[in-house]
Order: sequence, then structure tokens, then C-alpha cells
Amino acid sequence: MSQNLTYIPEPELVKGNHTFGSITRLVGDIVETPAPKWWYIAFAISNALLGLLLAMIAYLFYEGTGIWGLNNPVGWGWAIVNFVWWVGIGHAGTLISAILFLFRQGWRTAINRFAEAMTIFAVMCALIFPGIHVGRIWVIYWVFPLPNQMQMWPNFNSPLLWDVFAVGTYFTVSLLFWYVGLVPDFATLRDRVKSKWGKIAYGVAALGWTGGNRQWQNYEKSYMILAGIATPLVLSVHTIVSFDFAVSIVPGWHTTIFPPYFVAGAVFSGFAMVMTLMLITRKLYGLQDIMTINHIEKMNIIILVTGNIVGFAYIMEFFIAWYGGVEYEKAAFINRAMGPYAWAYWIMFLCNVISPQFFWSKRMRTSIVASFILSIVVNIGMWFERFVITVTSLAQDFLPSSWGYYSPTYVDVLTYVGTFGLFFTFFLLFLRFLPMIAIAEVKMVLPQANPHNYDEDGNEFKKIAEK
Amino acid sequence: MHHAKITDNLTYPEHENTHKLFFGIAILGAIASILGYFINPEQFYFSYLTSFTFYASIALGCLFFVMVHHITRSEYGVVLRRIPETYASFIYIFAILFIPILIGVETLYLWTDEELLATDKLIAGKSPYLNIPFFIARNVLYFTVWSYMGYKLYKNSVAMDKSGDWGLDTAQRKIAGPGLFIFGFTLAFASFDWMMSLDPPWFSTMFGVYYFAMTFQVFFAVVILTVLFLHKKGLLTNTIRIPHISDLSRMLFGFTVFYAYIAFSQFFLIYYANIPEETLWFYHRLEGNWENFTYLLLIGRFVVPFLILLPAASKNNMKLVGIVSAWIVIVHFIELHWIVMPTLHHYGMEFSWIDIATLLGIGGLFMGMFFRQFRKENMVSNNDPRLEASLNKH
Repeated sequence: MSQNLTYIPEPELVKGNHTFGSITRLVGDIVETPAPKWWYIAFAISNALLGLLLAMIAYLFYEGTGIWGLNNPVGWGWAIVNFVWWVGIGHAGTLISAILFLFRQGWRTAINRFAEAMTIFAVMCALIFPGIHVGRIWVIYWVFPLPNQMQMWPNFNSPLLWDVFAVGTYFTVSLLFWYVGLVPDFATLRDRVKSKWGKIAYGVAALGWTGGNRQWQNYEKSYMILAGIATPLVLSVHTIVSFDFAVSIVPGWHTTIFPPYFVAGAVFSGFAMVMTLMLITRKLYGLQDIMTINHIEKMNIIILVTGNIVGFAYIMEFFIAWYGGVEYEKAAFINRAMGPYAWAYWIMFLCNVISPQFFWSKRMRTSIVASFILSIVVNIGMWFERFVITVTSLAQDFLPSSWGYYSPTYVDVLTYVGTFGLFFTFFLLFLRFLPMIAIAEVKMVLPQANPHNYDEDGNEFKKIAEK
Repeated sequence: MHHAKITDNLTYPEHENTHKLFFGIAILGAIASILGYFINPEQFYFSYLTSFTFYASIALGCLFFVMVHHITRSEYGVVLRRIPETYASFIYIFAILFIPILIGVETLYLWTDEELLATDKLIAGKSPYLNIPFFIARNVLYFTVWSYMGYKLYKNSVAMDKSGDWGLDTAQRKIAGPGLFIFGFTLAFASFDWMMSLDPPWFSTMFGVYYFAMTFQVFFAVVILTVLFLHKKGLLTNTIRIPHISDLSRMLFGFTVFYAYIAFSQFFLIYYANIPEETLWFYHRLEGNWENFTYLLLIGRFVVPFLILLPAASKNNMKLVGIVSAWIVIVHFIELHWIVMPTLHHYGMEFSWIDIATLLGIGGLFMGMFFRQFRKENMVSNNDPRLEASLNKH
């Protein structure tokens, strides 16, 4: 079997014989030249959607949560589904920037800036939902344990409170991590932009970076420490999100595999989102040399792996629901697959378990069209996963007399649609004003950055390709 | 093609009889175990199962690492890959070693008790899965799959040493991809069969992941110890250097945290929801002096190694890394003991000399097989496409 196979060497991370200078130009020029027309159109649409979100929130504040589709057995609906979905989207950014950094994966440099930005905006979208879902919005600060004369405290035993801390910490560290990585690139832009205000703005953000040896040493150290802190944080966030469900005794929610399963699902959907956005951006801005097919393939492999972990968790849940022999647990799972929400369950199963299997084939992994379609399919699937978990378990609980069916109202739908407005407004601003690729880091993975031209005997190295 | 230079001797010295030493231990252990069987068969079976899961986890951790290595095209791992490859090349011995467990299946597993099944509806309900023929069939499947993968990955790698055919690298990747997929499921169900079903009413969806987390943590400890042993003999000292070992230590550190995360999550969710059919398992492990071991695991398997390995400097301190690794191997055994034994000794740990006997018996065979195989071939895959990068690691 092996005789017919040829060795496939690791492709170069940056294609097209780039130099340090040409990388700077490629990325820097996007920020320094006027925005293309499509950008204004996209920005206008995003702004309109953002307006819609604000209008829906205003209506919610005025009228109360009764305008959502929640009913008596189903007290958690789209709001938590959207919250978990958006937080999950954010996880890819931290995985790429922190975990792949710790594993020394050089290919992350092409997409890390981009994915980190996405993380921050996705977490912002996520935070809206727990922020607005309370009936008395004027006392939302009660989610924080603030000393007060009434001795009123949030329930410290509740994972919902831990969520406040976990997501808050995660957001802060992600922002810091992103900013630290941006500092050398801010300095590059400061030195390049022509406009006076641009010089001042980038100059302030660059914190006096000159690229000296000492600065790089401190930079690398702080980057490493932040990566080390961000790694357990990213696991803890979705773990605690999974605790929101799993600490309860609701059938279908209480199962021990939830923490790693939620984290894998989050990375799965997050990578899919990075893929969707990256495929559009690289085309529109002509960044195919940096975000190569090789990167797309690697990301698809991660989508395949995490998709299979999610599939593994589904199967474990189903098996143990039977094996455990608990009446209610069995009923909950049969209900999922065959009950009133079976349509949602099978959409989820098809999108999350079946669709990534296409990526076993190298042709599919390296096909841009397939990657684009499947990345969207995966995100639909992951939204439905949260819907299935949240709603099916609540709609048919222990007491058949209180069973119900949950449908969202138009406000639920438009609020969710509106969060895309928020996300893309920020995302487009990011594309316009910040270097969307980590310029300094991409240079570090260029062959020029690692000149080892002679072996121990003093013979000149030849490229492996010439073997 | 240029060669990176391996300046070390590539083969394990012929005059070294390490494998014979271990085979000697195996024979002594086997005799003691047989003696133990006649004195106290119940204790023997449980001790045997503990030792079996202990060594199986090491071999399986090695198999997993080799597959991940190929999938991720790891560079640091090239120079040390032959060690896990060799450990994983003879998983078939575990199929043979499983036979005593099959003989003792009625002593070990409550779900084989017909009288109990007649009265206990809960356990009887599981009999479509928990019955002896299916149990045997599943285990045959596990060992067949693992043995094949381990053997094939080893053979391909050794073939590349000789032929220098880099196409084999692609062949390895083609095994490793589907291999990891199969590995995940088989390991999870094996852990259900071997350990979770000892307490038939109990269940945890996380259990497979939990066994995996333990396995992969101890894997790094075992490889580090093997490398340090070779270094002590003056072997491969210029090939597997401190940067490689400190990378292994980083992984050991990382997967110590991962283990703690998985083990704690499993405990915590069961503790918090407090449903009787789930909590009983932990309840038994908080009874008598089992409670002390529960805390020992928390502190010994996570807190202490975490604090020691956290500073960058300690990952370059070979002595310290060696001590921590040895300690983790010991705690790994204690944890498996803590999982298996409360089925037999409900009210506290009663450590028996038979535990030692089975540990030495299987361990002697396992390590003997390792060194027997290890001395036959090169200790480093010297024609690997990424050897250069691995040797130049700094």
C-alpha cells in the first residue's frame, strides 16, 4: 500500500514569494486606502440591523419579556440559545490565538487577529441576552455581588452567577490579548499613515513601540503569559455555560459529559464562523497568499475533529440514557428524536454529525465552495443544538399535564437577526481601521525569518523539494 | 538530500539484558499471582483487573500519541516517537492477558449474577448490553482494532528506517485519521466495560473521557521516565535533548490540568445534582479510608504536580521532572485502584500483597516485551521527513 503513496510535504505558510515589505504593504494598504464601495453598502446594512436590534431591545424594556415566546414549561427560549451560540462562536478566536500558540502552530498567524476580533464581537453579542432578559432592567446590576443595605446577594451556588464572572473575565482577557498582539502592528501603521489624525490615533495605541530588542523580549513574554491565562479561561467559559444546564436535574440537561462536549461544540461552530468570514474576506481583499488553501484545509480538519467529538457526545448521551435505566432520561431522549421537536433534532444531527464527514475527503477539505457551504451548515446545526437542548427538555418535563410547545415571536427572531447587525458593524469597522492580519507574526513564519543556511559540516542546505 | 546528523548510537546495546530482567520479574510476579489466586481468588481477580487497566492505559496512551503525532505532523515528537510506537506495537498481549478476567467475570461483575438479575429490574434492564457473550465480543473487537493499529503504525515506521520511503508518512496519516475516530469510541466503551460496569447501576457519560484523560496524562510521565532511563544508560543523549524533554514536561503539565478538569467536572456535576443512582459511586469512595485517597488524588494528581511544573525552570530540571513523572505513574495506579477496589472492599482500602504480585506480573511482561522489541530496531526513526526539524529543536 505504501509504495503507491507519495510524501506530501508541509506547504509553505505564505505563498507568492513575499518579502517583509510586501507583507506590510499587503495588509497596511487596506487600512490606508479608501474603503471600497461594497464596504459602505455592507456597513449600511449592518447599521440598519443594529438599529433593528436597538429597537427590539427598546420594545422589550418598555413592554417586558412577555413579548418573547416564553411560556410556562419553557422559561428559557431563544435568549439563552442565542447567548450560548454567540459565546460558542467566540471560542475559535481564543483557541486559535492562545491554544494553537501554545502548541506552536505557525499557521495560526494568518487568521489569529481576525479570529480574535470575531471573538470579542461575538462575546459582545452574547452578553446582550443575559443583560436584557431580566424583567426589571433597571436593577440589572444585581447580577453583581454588590454590598447593599438590604443584604441582598446573588446566589453564589448558581452557575448563572459564575457565568457573569466567567464571561466577563474571558472578555477582558481576550481584549487584552488582542490588544497586546496589535501593538507592534499599530506602530507599523503609525509609521506609514499619511493623515495627521491617523498618526496620532495609531501612535497613542502603539504605546511608544519602537521594535527594540528589549521591547520584543517583554512582548513575547507577556504574550506567552496571556496565552497561558486565556487557555484555561476558554475552557472554563463554556464549561460554566454547560453547568447552567448540567447542574440541574432536568432530563437531557444533567449529564456529566456536558463540559468537554460544550467546549468542543463551541470550537466547532467558532471555526465554522471564522471559515465563513475568512473565505469572503480573503477574496474581497485579495489575501489568498496569506490565507492559503493550506489554512483552509487545516481549519476543516479541526472542524472535522470537533464535529466528531460532538457526535461522540451525542452517542454517549443516547447510550447512557438507555444504559442508565432512568425512566425520565430515556423519555427525554426518545422525545428529542421522535417527539414534537424531532425536526429540530434531525436538523441538528444532519448539520453537526453528518455534514462534517465530507471533510474526510481531501478534495472537499480544499474546495472553497464546499468549505463555505459546510461552514454555514455547521453554524445552523450548532444553533439548533442549543435549541434542542434548551427547549425539548423543558417543553416535555416530568409532569405531562404541563407539557407545552414553544414557538418564538417575531421579537425573538428580529432580536437575533439584529445581533448580526451589531456583530458586522464592529467587524466591518475592524476590517477598515485595524490590520486584519498580524503583520509582525506573519513575518515571523516567513522563511527569511529563520535563516539556517548551512548544516553542521558547512554544506549549503537545499530545499526539501529538490530532494 | 542532506542528513541531519544523529551522533548517538542508534541501537539498544546488545549486551544489555533489560528485557530478560523484566521477564524474570514477570515470572516471579506470575508465580506470586497464581499463589494469590489459590489463597484468595476474589482479591486476585480485582487486583488483576486493576493492574490490567493500569498497563493497558499506558499502551493505549502511546497508541493515541503516535496517531496524533502523525495527524499534526509534530516535529518535537519525531526523535522520541519510537518509544511510544514500541509500547503500542504489542497490544495483542493484552488480548491474552484479558483471559483471566474472562475466567473471573462472574466474580468481578455483578451483572453476571442470574439470581440478582431476577430480582433487580434496573440491572436486568441492562442485560442486552451487559451479558457475557456480548462482553467477550466487544473486547475481542477492541483488542483486534488496537493491536492492528499499533502494530501497523510500528511496522510502517520501522520500514521507513530501512527504505527511507517517505510515502510511508502518508500511509501513517491514512491510518491515524480514521484510527483516532475508532480509538475514541473503543476506548470509551472499553472503560465502560472494564470499570464502569463493576458498579452496574452507576453511569456517567463522561467516564470514557475520564479514562482517556488519566491515560494521556500518565502517557507523558511514562515516556519521560523511559527517556530518562535511556539517558542514564548513556543512550540518545544527543538526540533526545533537554528541549524535547521539557516539551514533554509541558505536555505533562497541560494534561495534568486537563485531567483535573475532566475528573473534577464529573465529580462536581454528580455532587451538585445529587441524584441517588449517581452519587452512590462517589459516596462509596468517601467511606472509610477511601476518603483519604479521594483527597490524595485531588492533591497528589493535580495540585502538587501543577505547582511543581508551573515554573518554566522546573521543566528543564530533569531530576524534578523525573520525580514528578514517577509520582504521577504511582498516583495513576492508586486512582485505578480507587476506581476498581471499592467494589470488593466497600468500607476502606485494604491493600493486599496480591496487588503487588499482579502489578509485577503484568508489568514485567509489559516492560520485558517493550525492551525485547526496542532492542531489535533503531531507537530513533532515522529516516523520518521531519527528523531534521526535530533534531534542531531548541
